[in-house]
Amino acid sequence: MTISRRTLLAAGMATPLATLPILGRPAFAQRASGILRYGLSAFPPNLQPWVSTGASAGTVKLLIHRSLVSYGPDGNLRGELAESWSLDGEGAWVFKLRQGCVFHNGDPVTADDVKWSIEQIAGEKSTAYMRAQFQEVARVEIVDPATVRLVTKTPQATLPSWFGNYNTFILSRKSTPTEFIGAGPFRLVGQERGSSLELAPFDKFYRPGIPKVKGIKFVVYADENLRNAALQSGDVDMIEYVPWQSMAAVEADPRLKLTTQEGPFMDVLFNGTKPPFNDARVRRAVAHAVKRDDIVKVAFFGRGKPLEGVPIVEGTPWWDKELAHGWNYDPARAKALLTEAGYGNGFQTTLLATAQFGMHKDTAEIVQQYLAAIGIQCELQLPDWSTRVARGSKGQYDIAIHGVSADNNDPDGLTVVLDTSLSPAHGRSYRVDAPRTIAALAKGRGEFDQAKRVEIYKEMQRAALEEVPLVGLAWRSQGYGMDKSVEGFVNLPGALSNSSGNMLEQTYFG
Amino acid sequence: MSATWLARKLCVAIFLAWLVATIVFLSLHMVPGDPAELLLSTGGTSPDPYAVAELREKLGLERPLIAQYGSFLAGVLRGDLGNSLVDDYPVLQEIALRLPRTLELIAAGSLLAILVGVPAGVYAALHRGGAFDRAASWVTALLLAVPVFVVGTLLVLLFAQTLRLMPAGGFVAFSQDPAQHMKLLTLPAIAIAKGLAAVLFRMTRAAMLDALAHDYVRTARAKGLAPRRVVFVHVLRNALNPVVTVLGLHMGTLLGGTVLVEYVFNWPGMSTPLLRAVEGRDYPMVVGIVLTISVLFLLINLLVEVVHALLDPRIAHS
Repeated sequence: MTISRRTLLAAGMATPLATLPILGRPAFAQRASGILRYGLSAFPPNLQPWVSTGASAGTVKLLIHRSLVSYGPDGNLRGELAESWSLDGEGAWVFKLRQGCVFHNGDPVTADDVKWSIEQIAGEKSTAYMRAQFQEVARVEIVDPATVRLVTKTPQATLPSWFGNYNTFILSRKSTPTEFIGAGPFRLVGQERGSSLELAPFDKFYRPGIPKVKGIKFVVYADENLRNAALQSGDVDMIEYVPWQSMAAVEADPRLKLTTQEGPFMDVLFNGTKPPFNDARVRRAVAHAVKRDDIVKVAFFGRGKPLEGVPIVEGTPWWDKELAHGWNYDPARAKALLTEAGYGNGFQTTLLATAQFGMHKDTAEIVQQYLAAIGIQCELQLPDWSTRVARGSKGQYDIAIHGVSADNNDPDGLTVVLDTSLSPAHGRSYRVDAPRTIAALAKGRGEFDQAKRVEIYKEMQRAALEEVPLVGLAWRSQGYGMDKSVEGFVNLPGALSNSSGNMLEQTYFG
Repeated sequence: MSATWLARKLCVAIFLAWLVATIVFLSLHMVPGDPAELLLSTGGTSPDPYAVAELREKLGLERPLIAQYGSFLAGVLRGDLGNSLVDDYPVLQEIALRLPRTLELIAAGSLLAILVGVPAGVYAALHRGGAFDRAASWVTALLLAVPVFVVGTLLVLLFAQTLRLMPAGGFVAFSQDPAQHMKLLTLPAIAIAKGLAAVLFRMTRAAMLDALAHDYVRTARAKGLAPRRVVFVHVLRNALNPVVTVLGLHMGTLLGGTVLVEYVFNWPGMSTPLLRAVEGRDYPMVVGIVLTISVLFLLINLLVEVVHALLDPRIAHS
């Protein structure tokens, strides 16, 4: 036999040498061409403009479509296809369309398109995320080709913000169920199914100089660690959802930068149809039993903030320092509340979460420990996410852990999680009795005076602290990581962080 | 190997494929989770129940289970695996797009494993007890013990994140950029090859040692045949039978086992839509992919048996 060790070693040495020519960094090639490479956390299940299919899909949709308004860098509404909007004397919302806006097929954006889009969203067969809201619109009147008037069934103070949601866009009425014609600053020009999407600038976008990059290539990295590795290795210029455990490394890397916002939050939901959680005192006991710092430290590596009240974003007019700590950590008070409710010796219950997402599981484990300390023994149930959703919306649980973001920074954006009179859903408590909270939400929605709205929502917070339709646990940090050469991107404040995809239109390489 | 023998094997394979598809179809419908609700809940949002009901109606989920099963079977017989519940994309087209990528990964990993494992096993057997034999035994034990996702993660950390020599993961079509395609293929192929190479090394070494001890080898040497001819014609050919069996079984297993590798390296093969479909209860997609994997697994097994029968005709006769 003539295969010698030397031959074998030589072959082993030769293999890596032979591969050296293909090892090279194309990292700067695309940057030089002005294409922004963006690490997306999930391939959009679909790009149907009005259906909610997640924030990643929303990022892409925000760039290829456009609505009447959007959120600007400061988090306030700004005009897009509408240059102005106001209430008329009869309490209807009037939108004046901007001149020069065209769809990707070259047709101008008209009031007819706006009316058609709203009717599609609110239609009987619609599966749109904002369907329920737009069904509050009694009729859409076309005043002239550039003016629409929305008459609502009841006063709707937050109606303009509906158009800021990343599932509400104005499409050409020539769109078909398979081909959506938008008016965004980019066009979808290619996709590798399941792995990447390519956008090219739309040269007739109404705002001069926008977009600022020559294209965006979205590359999907479902695994958060790989997404972070792709950023650190230079495979992409920017990523969303920087994993909390990697934020420090991104900050420490001289080539990278990180921008974070505390918008999404974790909370405890209750089944209000049976004892003991049909008693607000027991729910309040849960609220005072948990030390939130530990959740922030363990589940989010310190990247977040304790949430001891209703999830109102700090810095907004509705935030109140005292109310924000209405459910402070106070185990003695929690025990007293249990005793008052007749559960002085504690009780056994179940705690539903999911093992599919570490933040849900970690949060649940910490809550379990703190509840045990006041005598509530929880059996942890950690099915997959699909089962968690199914059981949540059917009320098949006692208490549950959830994580979500409000629709926007207005307290009305919390309706979806606080209004337990709405149809059962996995993201809000199951038939918990909270009449004062719900009444205050409705009152605030119908009030147009800002000072009065502030008072109404403070009253809503006071009611919620007593009625406990949910228990806030922690704000979690939402981070975008990027190369230092990436400029112009803004992580929108608070709950709007998920809408920051909009800012990619003004992002550029410095 | 007779036609009857082959026909019998084929019938068993078809029956098993139907059984697998039926079990998956029924079990998937029994576990909790509503595809319509899940689709509209992406991102943790709470969907409007009217929208969920409308979507269920559109997707045909309100029909009785037996009717859905009947439609599925009728579709399979027509060569139609249905459309995804998520985006109405034909399942067959999704598989046609993804399967070649998974097969490419398996082929690259297997080729690498064969190129490393078999020659190393032969060399170790011929130099039994030597330094290489001892070292290789330790290395293969280590390779077998370390899970594939750990190896994958370490490869990414070392070659992508630290050395910045290779991309962290992803996919580019060969037709679009051949060099980048090969770069993206390298690390996942290594991750797949590591376990198989270790197994092939051990199998080859053991089979070679067994074959070397036979009388016909001594006779061949006594006849004065060249050592190379003795090894390759007399020893290796007989030693390859168990190696081929193991290779076939592992390649079949890899069809389902690439899930972690594809996930770690973001390789958009069959695993990604399968995982996503299971999470989203996309029934047609899950059943279609599992059925495809099962059929391929059965075909590979059949192929292994045929090769076996060709290498050793006594198997077909028995």
